[in-house]
Amino acid sequence: MLVGIDMQLEEGSNVENLQAQRCRARIDHLDSADVENITEWNNTKLKRILVDYMLRMSYFETASKLSESSNISDLVDIDIFREAKKVIDALKRREVASALAWCADNKTRLKKSKSKLEFQLRLQEFIELVRADSYKQAILYARKHLTPWGATHMNELQHVLATLAFKSTTECPKYKALFEPQQWDVLVHQFKQEFCKLYGMTMEPLLNIYLQAGLTALKTPYSFEEGCTKEDPLSQESFRKLALPLPYSKQEHSKLVCYISKELMDTENPPQVLPNGYVYSTKALKEMADKNKGEIKCPRTGFVCNHTDLVKAYIS
Amino acid sequence: MELKSIKDAFDRVANKHKLSYTKTHEIVQMLSQELDKALSLMQDTQLDHKSILVDAKKLFTEKSPVAQLESAEKELNVALTKYPKVLEKQLNPEISKAYRTNAEFDTHIVNQIIANFFYRQGMFEIGDCFVAETGESECTTRQSFVEMYQILEAMERRDLEPALTWAGANSERLKQARSDLEMKLHSLQFLKISQGQNSQEALSYARKHFAVYADSCLYEIQKLVCSLLWDKNLEQSPYSEFLSPVLWDNAVREMTRQYCNLLGESSESPLSVTVTAGTQALPVLLKYINVMANKKLDWQSVEQLPVAVELPEEFQFHSVFVCPVSKEQSSEDNPPMMMSCGHVLCKQTITRMSKNGAKTSFKCPYCPTDIDSTRCKQLHF
Repeated sequence: MLVGIDMQLEEGSNVENLQAQRCRARIDHLDSADVENITEWNNTKLKRILVDYMLRMSYFETASKLSESSNISDLVDIDIFREAKKVIDALKRREVASALAWCADNKTRLKKSKSKLEFQLRLQEFIELVRADSYKQAILYARKHLTPWGATHMNELQHVLATLAFKSTTECPKYKALFEPQQWDVLVHQFKQEFCKLYGMTMEPLLNIYLQAGLTALKTPYSFEEGCTKEDPLSQESFRKLALPLPYSKQEHSKLVCYISKELMDTENPPQVLPNGYVYSTKALKEMADKNKGEIKCPRTGFVCNHTDLVKAYIS
Repeated sequence: MELKSIKDAFDRVANKHKLSYTKTHEIVQMLSQELDKALSLMQDTQLDHKSILVDAKKLFTEKSPVAQLESAEKELNVALTKYPKVLEKQLNPEISKAYRTNAEFDTHIVNQIIANFFYRQGMFEIGDCFVAETGESECTTRQSFVEMYQILEAMERRDLEPALTWAGANSERLKQARSDLEMKLHSLQFLKISQGQNSQEALSYARKHFAVYADSCLYEIQKLVCSLLWDKNLEQSPYSEFLSPVLWDNAVREMTRQYCNLLGESSESPLSVTVTAGTQALPVLLKYINVMANKKLDWQSVEQLPVAVELPEEFQFHSVFVCPVSKEQSSEDNPPMMMSCGHVLCKQTITRMSKNGAKTSFKCPYCPTDIDSTRCKQLHF
């Protein structure tokens, strides 16, 4: 007796346990970050962000490969995106069934966030019936599926229902728009939005958000100069293009990097000035003087002077 | 980041989930047993079926399984609603606020950057898969990175030949880049030979290869050759450091750096540098964007950040001079100038302090020196 129920119970519990295990893995991963392993942790983070990007762009094969080889399957949402892809593909084929099924699966949460995705899907189905001149069916459909939305979305409902009078060949722009094929792209976009919202994800790929922030923080006028050091990501054409519309960063204090050693010039390693006005770090100049019997040669101008000719500059 | 509260909230969910499952299981078992009992009673005895059913019904009402299930379910639900709230409070769910919608990225460029990232990390299989799946054109740097990883993998096997061949072929360029990679590789090779118990061979290797570095690495060479005296038990010698695998790690790192350098690439992956910088910058940006929103300013159209995003030293690629008086960044028209006392100001500030040259001298704002404005020197950082 009741064996069926018990089995269902266990099945459900197993699915939930899997989800719980994922949550646990993610919390543990967040917890594992500390000063010692930060390079490696950041590396894993970058891979997570890359998988997220690939999932949003539907590069599923690479996404699975990368997450498996980097052991981050529990930290990324491949399955969820695969489900979403099915719905999106169906919408692109102008089928609403799987999108409606998704709405039904997530009914309570969609209702809570006052989503009208289902209403919009229903409206589109109604429009398709009108397009096919199946007026009777359209009316029956509207009675069954659209009326429940009347209380909250009366204006839209009226607007769409008026197509019964105008037909799909109408030239009236207000109604013509409803029959445009682009309406399906709008639905795809709306589904994506609801999907991201439901799962607490950002609408844009994480990669783009992090890249924008990073490029903004790194962007200086010097990055676009010809002799820009290779170490600056913005020395690369591709990064420069991405950074072009972004704001420049701002510096509140002087920060001087030695041209020779690329080290920061601070009180430990203060800047020294050659008679020609070129500035290098004390350490780098000392090293050069030691190797060349006290002689200093400016690497940028070829100017030669003695180690004793140097003066210290005070940068505050 | 405060993870403890998240962990606690999650533990509560996991706990309640387990409880609710056990409870439901128990109740279903109980119901099942009672029903079985009632059924078999009905089959076995000639008793009044009605009374059996009444008894069963009474039992079920007393135990009220539905109410029990509901209370377990309710506890789970409370924990479940709390968990996302804790998550949202501790982790920032709205990082997309920092996203500039008017700076939409070109997918091709991003894909090329990603493909290049995989190749330079040595993830060739994934890189190839990515290029195929995205339909992007083949990366031009792929072959170079394949060669680099062949060299590095040989080094992992303690085989220095490919590395030495490469360093030998690029000897001049390495010297220009002020890299001691070649010497590092030769000393590792020397140590490898000497630890292979072949002092004679090691000596002739030293003679052949170390002489050119006599000027720059004399001390290092002395130590290396001296270590030969302890060839049987280097561990107990003052030179035990030569056995350390750290030497190899350093050589591998320097090899990677120089290889990328000569290839015209940065020594760290530019993608990972940018994303790491982004990770550091996002909290500051988000805070700033919130302030902007309160002042009804538009983040989307800002051309320069009004606040500094302080990044660690490794992200500092350029010398930036900010005049300590005017707080302006120096530029070609407004270069940094050093005064006779060694303090540095911007040209415009100096012009202003000398009243456009009307005054021949003014006092340095940082020390008591009198400054002759015509004798300030322009600096190049």
